[in-house]
Amino acid sequence: MKASKIVFAALALWGTGAVAQETDAKGEGLYKEHCASCHQYDGGGVPMLQPELIGKPRANGKPGGVIDMILFGSDAMRENEGDYGNEMPAFSHLTDLEIAQIATYVRTHFENRGGPVTSDDVKPRRAR
Amino acid sequence: MLKIIFTAVLLCSSTATIAASGIVGVDEAAPIDAELGLRLPDGFKATVFADQIGRVRHIVAADNGWLYGALMRPQKGMGAVALRDADGDGVAEENIFFAKGLKGTGIGIYDGYLYYGTDVSILRWKLPENGEPQGTPELIAYGFAEKRQHAAKSFTFDGKGGLYVNVGAPSNACMEKMRTKGSPGMDPCPILEEFGGIWKFDASKQNQQQSKEGVRYATGIRNAVALDWNMRADSLYVVPHGRDQLGEFFPEYFTPEESAEMPSEEFHRVAEGADMGWPYSYYDHRKGERLVMPEYGGDGKTVSDRGQKPLMGFPGHWAPNDLLFLKSDAMPEGYRMGAFIGFHGSWNRAPFPQAGYRIAYVPMDAAGNVTDDWITFADGFAGVEKVMSPRDAKHRPMGLTEDANGALYVSSLMSGGRIWKITYEGK
Repeated sequence: MKASKIVFAALALWGTGAVAQETDAKGEGLYKEHCASCHQYDGGGVPMLQPELIGKPRANGKPGGVIDMILFGSDAMRENEGDYGNEMPAFSHLTDLEIAQIATYVRTHFENRGGPVTSDDVKPRRAR
Repeated sequence: MLKIIFTAVLLCSSTATIAASGIVGVDEAAPIDAELGLRLPDGFKATVFADQIGRVRHIVAADNGWLYGALMRPQKGMGAVALRDADGDGVAEENIFFAKGLKGTGIGIYDGYLYYGTDVSILRWKLPENGEPQGTPELIAYGFAEKRQHAAKSFTFDGKGGLYVNVGAPSNACMEKMRTKGSPGMDPCPILEEFGGIWKFDASKQNQQQSKEGVRYATGIRNAVALDWNMRADSLYVVPHGRDQLGEFFPEYFTPEESAEMPSEEFHRVAEGADMGWPYSYYDHRKGERLVMPEYGGDGKTVSDRGQKPLMGFPGHWAPNDLLFLKSDAMPEGYRMGAFIGFHGSWNRAPFPQAGYRIAYVPMDAAGNVTDDWITFADGFAGVEKVMSPRDAKHRPMGLTEDANGALYVSSLMSGGRIWKITYEGK
């Protein structure tokens, strides 16, 4: 009994890891496809043109911070939040899952510690 | 393998060629002085004329011995800086910040006035005999819509009373939805009515509104921060920024390598009424053709008849930020009649290294015709061998000007802001 519980727990952990890895790979792929040309592969952005994503408050705070940027683009920026010459389009045509995967990638890379988000975090924000 | 071949071609195309006119670009085997931050051809010398002066964009040298620079972001609350090297050692010992509350890119001198371009207006002050201009500036042109993308109002003069202002298009390729994959281009592109061209004004008349007194002199120009009037040929020339993200929006037509190299940055001679083709077409310097923009049905191959062909095409995304024709004969023969083009460097070439970050020189004759292939006149600004991410570049050439003695100046807004002075010292 005890042994099977351990096995089960190990399987569950392994499962979680595999899901996390898959999410990460998908997030990375989507980031490269939709985000990297402007924000760069290293998240470094372009000085005065497009924001860097490294160690950003939005990617270390509440789940909505990055999700809103993806959903609404520059319209989600607060006044005086950034000083950049380019505008970001909305990516609301992506699915909730895709947006969650990109947001998770940004929140867990580029020195950000915001942690993963899910489709359930994305869905209610579309109507905002 | 293909990638290797393509990279080799890229390397070859960016290697400075020895022009038939006898001028030689930078020696790519020569070391770059890291402290100075640039490399020049043999016989030229540079000094750091000014450092830590803020986000300086275009610059202009006045006959009174002062150099003026427009600041893209205020420094100490001021939008411009005046600099002077009184003892002639190549380093300015005086700097005065002025233009309170302003910020801008364009700056120039005409008929005893110092002109300044904010994102929404062209202003001018009486050029002082010494130091910074005084008082409130006069409003020359206004009514430019306030936009974020491509908002810089750079300008030039024809020497006959005409002022020519770049009104950049707040758009990438006039797509229905801004920079959104799959969104088609609008035809006709409504943006061209108010933007995407050069507007002409009377240089000495106050309160001219773009939509009333302003005349659309040329169109089809995405954003020509780099523009200058060639006095020898008596004509306007521009080097607009080409569009971004071909491969990202049309991966079926453009490989990442092609997207890095395309579209060409185009060098145009601009007659009144000319159309440079944006957003309907772009130039491919490898094919020597204008091609249909993919948002308008293009596939990377179909030739377009919309827009004039440029005099020359440079590799994609190099980001031309200033253009200068010299007026004096201080530079060696071969460097006097052509075009100096400052490329501040790309961001849209990833995953390949970014490129540009140099001043190119195009040999030309007195009639304004290109006579030879371009060379690299100055490089090393980036301070790193390969720029994988634009933030890694230490400097990016932004503005160019010539002083009364024929010395050339180059500005960079990076790393706190710097201006170099370049002179020819002979061999």
